[in-house]
Amino acid sequence: MKLTSRLGTAGLAIYFWAFIIFLFAPLAVLLIFSVNKSPTPTLPLSGFSTKWFHEAFGNGVLTGALLRSIAIAVVAAVLATALGITASLGLLVLRGRAAALTLTVLLLPLVVPYIGLAVGLLILVQEVGAKPSLVAVVLGHCVIVLPFAILVILPRLRSLDPAMNEAAQDLGASAFASLRLITLPLLAPALVSSGIICFVTSFDEFAIASFLAPSGQPTYPVFLYASARTPALLPEVIAIGALIIAGSLLLVVLAEGGRRWAERRLVGETAATATAAAAPAEQPTEAFATTHD
Amino acid sequence: MLPPVVFVGVLLLLPVAFIALYSVGLRTNIPGMPTAFSLSNWSDFVVGGGSAFRSRFIYSMEIALLVSVLATIAAYPLAYFLAFVARRRRYALLLVLLAPFFTSYLLRVIAWQIILNNNGVVNSLLWTLHLRPHGSAISWLIYSNFSVALVLFYTWIPFVSLPIFVVLENMDHRLQEAAADLGASRAVTFWRVTFPLSLPGVIAGFVFVLIPTTGEFITPLLVGGPNNQLFGNSIQAFFGDTPNWNYGSVLAIALIVVVIVLTLVFGRFLQADLRAETRPTR
Repeated sequence: MKLTSRLGTAGLAIYFWAFIIFLFAPLAVLLIFSVNKSPTPTLPLSGFSTKWFHEAFGNGVLTGALLRSIAIAVVAAVLATALGITASLGLLVLRGRAAALTLTVLLLPLVVPYIGLAVGLLILVQEVGAKPSLVAVVLGHCVIVLPFAILVILPRLRSLDPAMNEAAQDLGASAFASLRLITLPLLAPALVSSGIICFVTSFDEFAIASFLAPSGQPTYPVFLYASARTPALLPEVIAIGALIIAGSLLLVVLAEGGRRWAERRLVGETAATATAAAAPAEQPTEAFATTHD
Repeated sequence: MLPPVVFVGVLLLLPVAFIALYSVGLRTNIPGMPTAFSLSNWSDFVVGGGSAFRSRFIYSMEIALLVSVLATIAAYPLAYFLAFVARRRRYALLLVLLAPFFTSYLLRVIAWQIILNNNGVVNSLLWTLHLRPHGSAISWLIYSNFSVALVLFYTWIPFVSLPIFVVLENMDHRLQEAAADLGASRAVTFWRVTFPLSLPGVIAGFVFVLIPTTGEFITPLLVGGPNNQLFGNSIQAFFGDTPNWNYGSVLAIALIVVVIVLTLVFGRFLQADLRAETRPTR
């Protein structure tokens, strides 16, 4: 027996596609109004025009904010991914209570509300005698994206075959060399995912940036928020917004395509190694862990 | 191992510790104010007569709960469709469902502002179609409980369907077949077998909305009126235009504690999910 009747199947399908329309409609609204001639986003449409894109790219404050956010997101993503590797290697070694406690601390940023962390960082900046700065924004973003990096890197690290590192060390590689030549290349897909997730999250983050970015140096979301309340700037915001939405949807499609390609390649590779090496390594994971002490 | 732990310690635990100190008056940003241990701000917030922030807190929790319940109910059929109806195309369709979630959060809220505005898409469409007299806007469409709840619902629903989908997807289909073989109808199979087994996913999804919406403050700023501001907005105000970090810290600690308690209460389910996700695959 199938789980749903024919009527139920049709009903669920209609419900699902109606929801997809609901989810994409606001995105479509931005795309449509980005090429609408009128400066106010209202119906009826007033004709096709690309002038808002020209004006947006001519607005130095807007492009400055965009570049600032890209720079912040790149630094935060690289730093968080590096810390994520260190954390994951450590978590692989730890056992029992220590492992659970460490993982809890490292994942804590997931459950502290951004607004709480934002005001806490504002206080910290004041307490150490500093001023709000873009460095503070980078550090704040790095904290909130670190759990994402760990959740992406750790499972991949655990899935690696310890025999490969053991072989490298048997053949005379130092612990560092086997990390650099064996582990990191094998982690590459996870590192790329981690980088993308961290970049996107930082690029879009508003709460922390709104408290820590110095006035006159807004990040892109901070600028976006201010402009959304300024009708004269709204068309430019919509134009850039439309580009960013189109870009991120494209990125999702590319990332998924890349993931499938990598998966197929990986499956092929593992199948090949399995047949080549008649006796697959069944060492306990501890053996792998000791190589990174 | 040490660097990331120190990093989180200095940039997360230390700031929270400082907020706690401010909340009990041991530190202050108000010039000339003596720093001494005092629970006066706490008592004003928790038991003070007619505390505006306590009622704001209760209002926020109500909105967060409403949105979480509605989003979970609405997300279930989406996950069910993906897991049991879509079959071979399910991963592609899951990605379609999640895609809006990967686009800018702020932009999606701005899009809703454009849609719901007094001369926005919905109102101007009704005018163009002569369904409403030109210039008369629907009053509850924006700056209302409706607009705040709708936008929060919209923002989080794709994310709720994900954990429900994962649970349904990994369910042992033989259990459902066994129920059917033993004479259970489709409805009975669903309510006695499928649904109870999917509860961990349902609860995880519920918490995935509840936690972020509890601390939410951007959506009410853009589509809420003065009466629809959430608890996060109160905190923001105390650290912004009218600074009183001591009182603001009380609210911030209250929020952090509530969210952590919620996480612990539902933590068993979340932890089980997490363990499943990070379990060694070999």
